[in-house]
Amino acid sequence: MREKVLAVLKEEFPEVDFEASDALVDDGVLDSLTITGMIAALSLEFGVIIPYEEIIEENFNSIDSLAKMIERLQK
Amino acid sequence: MSYTDYLFLPLTLFGLIFYFIFPIRYRWVWLLIGSLLFFMTWGIELLPLILFIVFLVWGGARIMDYRYEKCDNDRKALAAARKNNQIILFGIIAVLLLIFIFIKMQNFPFFAGISGFFSGIYKTVHQFFLNIPILNYFVSAENGGISIGLSDLFNKILGYQRNSTVFTDPNAKFTYWIIPVGFSYYILSLLGYLADVYWRKERAEMNYFKLLLFTIYFPKILEGPISKHLTVAARLNEGHSFDFQRVSFGLQRVVWGFFKKWVIADRLKILIDTVFNNYEIYKGSEFLVAAVFSAVQLYCDFSGCMDMGLGISECFGVILEENFNHPFSSRSSAEFWRRWHISLGTWFKDYIYMPLSVSPWLIRLTGRIRKRFGKRAGKTFSIVIPLAVVWLLTGLWHGTGANYMVWGLYWGMLIIISNVLEPETKKLTKWLKINTDMPEYHLFQKARTFMLFVISRIISLPRTMEVTRFAFRSIFTNFAPWKLFDGSLFNLGIDRPQFVVVMLAIALLAYVSGKQEKGVNVRQWIADRPLVIRWFIYYAAIFIVLIFGAYGVGYDASSFVYMAY
Repeated sequence: MREKVLAVLKEEFPEVDFEASDALVDDGVLDSLTITGMIAALSLEFGVIIPYEEIIEENFNSIDSLAKMIERLQK
Repeated sequence: MSYTDYLFLPLTLFGLIFYFIFPIRYRWVWLLIGSLLFFMTWGIELLPLILFIVFLVWGGARIMDYRYEKCDNDRKALAAARKNNQIILFGIIAVLLLIFIFIKMQNFPFFAGISGFFSGIYKTVHQFFLNIPILNYFVSAENGGISIGLSDLFNKILGYQRNSTVFTDPNAKFTYWIIPVGFSYYILSLLGYLADVYWRKERAEMNYFKLLLFTIYFPKILEGPISKHLTVAARLNEGHSFDFQRVSFGLQRVVWGFFKKWVIADRLKILIDTVFNNYEIYKGSEFLVAAVFSAVQLYCDFSGCMDMGLGISECFGVILEENFNHPFSSRSSAEFWRRWHISLGTWFKDYIYMPLSVSPWLIRLTGRIRKRFGKRAGKTFSIVIPLAVVWLLTGLWHGTGANYMVWGLYWGMLIIISNVLEPETKKLTKWLKINTDMPEYHLFQKARTFMLFVISRIISLPRTMEVTRFAFRSIFTNFAPWKLFDGSLFNLGIDRPQFVVVMLAIALLAYVSGKQEKGVNVRQWIADRPLVIRWFIYYAAIFIVLIFGAYGVGYDASSFVYMAY
């Protein structure tokens, strides 16, 4: 799952280094425009609805946490 | 009572001393009492509305929270609870929105009828409080306008006559009742809190009076910041002990706020009013000067008020959110709006932009557009729709006149276009071989952003579009550049010495802002100086404000610009 998520995001945002840190939001790697773009790409690709309460820093700080969230939502 | 009222600081200092005498567990109660008293100086009859609104939000949040609690983290039950809570959320939003829309649009004929109804309620409430001893001191005076009840009492004791005519018009007075102080600021704060409980980003506040304190807290009631309950509530509720450095830093910030407000903003206002109130006789160059100054004036007025509020709050140990981060150093319009009125921008981002851009229907639509018209079109669509909604609402929030419609459209277009065309701009600068990391290029970007803001001031500053059109036409067809050099500028309400004062003050402001931008903590720097120099700076600052402040006889001590929103 982690690899799939990374591939989708890399295709969508080639200029962002998603593996730069484990605190992507807190370190300012991701701004709100990128985050909303990521959400759109991931929900279209994996066919999940990401509810607004899942959009918190913990879930977006690393590719691992993103993958975990998608898996949880697919259940 | 406003922060620049002559009684405000003495009363606040008195309140500060009592705060530290109160038992630490109940210090928030003292803050609430102080805030209620401050609010009541605007008229006790304003109180029922805010008490009711807080009650509505407090109750709604508690019910939602209780329903989630019962679910015990079961996902299916939570989803069901969410559906039910939606009714509460949207019900309360609808009630608040109705009040809000009614206030902002009462000039429209449709709302005029309701106006009479509310007027009736107002008279009843007014009469009710007049009949109760002691409380009647807090009822707004019949002819005194802003000088209200308690303020009047002090005025009588001190033999001070205030001649305000702002609210002698009964209609204006009614407007004042229904748009109480800080209305649109605390409404947004409360809506944010309600949404956060709904999205389970925070738990509901159990204590009604604590939520009331959050809403009515006096350093933020006049012009915000639009605080987030999640961030600020804990700081308000826990008691803070006395800390000499914190109190001293806070007071320094208050003086700095007075400097921005009285020395710069209120002085520039005279020039700006002179030009825009008699616009027929002025030329393009004068409009440009007035518009540039009005950009500085608005910044000093608004951020000065923030310095006073945040400084006072800091004395009590309550750190509030910053509303400004040197906006004139921004290199793009988008960055400008992340540094100007930050709490409003954050509010729109958290409660409009983000929920909208991640809503399933928008994503589904984006997907369809993407399939049909390609990736770029899909991306553009998903950016444009939420941004357009945000800027439409931002325009409406500021006012419903034609000027603000155009103003919102202007900023929305600028930000949307710069977002959508980002790849092209990058290509263009590359093709022109412009080094975008050059300091000169950054300076150009800053100047460009500032001028875009100046243009927006020409749109929003005059009351009617007619004046805006006249000003633009003059700038482009009747510029009269010699007016800048032949001394005409000293005839715009402030003479040559006044002009020199204001320019020196702006230079000082720019210098200090530059230092702060580089990460220098100016107040810490002052604190580190030897005793003599430190106190010299303190005294100099206070005397500069007292001597060069534009107040007293001959000046119309103006209220804060953003209080009108």
